[in-house]
Amino acid sequence: MQCLPYTKAGRRYTARLAITMAIYLAVTFLTQWCFHHLHPTGPLVYLLAVLPALPLLATLAVVGIYIAEETDEFERSILVQSMLWGLGGALSVATVWGSLEDFARAPHLSAFYIYVFFWIFMGISQPFIRRRYQ
Amino acid sequence: MKNRLRILRAERNWSQADLADRLEVSRQSVNAIETGKFDPSLPLAFKLARLFNSPIETIFTDEE
Repeated sequence: MQCLPYTKAGRRYTARLAITMAIYLAVTFLTQWCFHHLHPTGPLVYLLAVLPALPLLATLAVVGIYIAEETDEFERSILVQSMLWGLGGALSVATVWGSLEDFARAPHLSAFYIYVFFWIFMGISQPFIRRRYQ
Repeated sequence: MKNRLRILRAERNWSQADLADRLEVSRQSVNAIETGKFDPSLPLAFKLARLFNSPIETIFTDEE
């Protein structure tokens, strides 16, 4: 199994994801530093708290850009199918865990993890989707 | 969808990678189309037809 992207658009997608994740790490570090040292109050708290989420939203835009740029319809189809698995998996986890929290007093899971589960399910599904076409 | 891509490719002594380069797609795409597991869009089918200088219906068949 080849791990490198198969097309030019795929390579751009990987590079853009790496850049947005690097920005995410930098912004998260900066936000934590601000909360620990500057002790913000009022609306600034909300502004600072939302900053780390912005690069993560950008990663979703990166996926959209890839779908728009990818001229290889087979590769595009693989990514779209894996996205559907990612969305389905993340929504399933959120639904089941929400029910567990409501009825079984399971520990609270931050809504942030829905994003993480999206990528986990998307990543895991891709090799299996590819296998179907071999 | 069944097709004659493997034969047409062999007649020209092209590898899957050679055909992929000519179509500007990945080798995986060519393999998926050739094995009949992925149906190409109409524009890609026309591109294949032009490349092999054959009508689409002589390359692809909708028989199971």
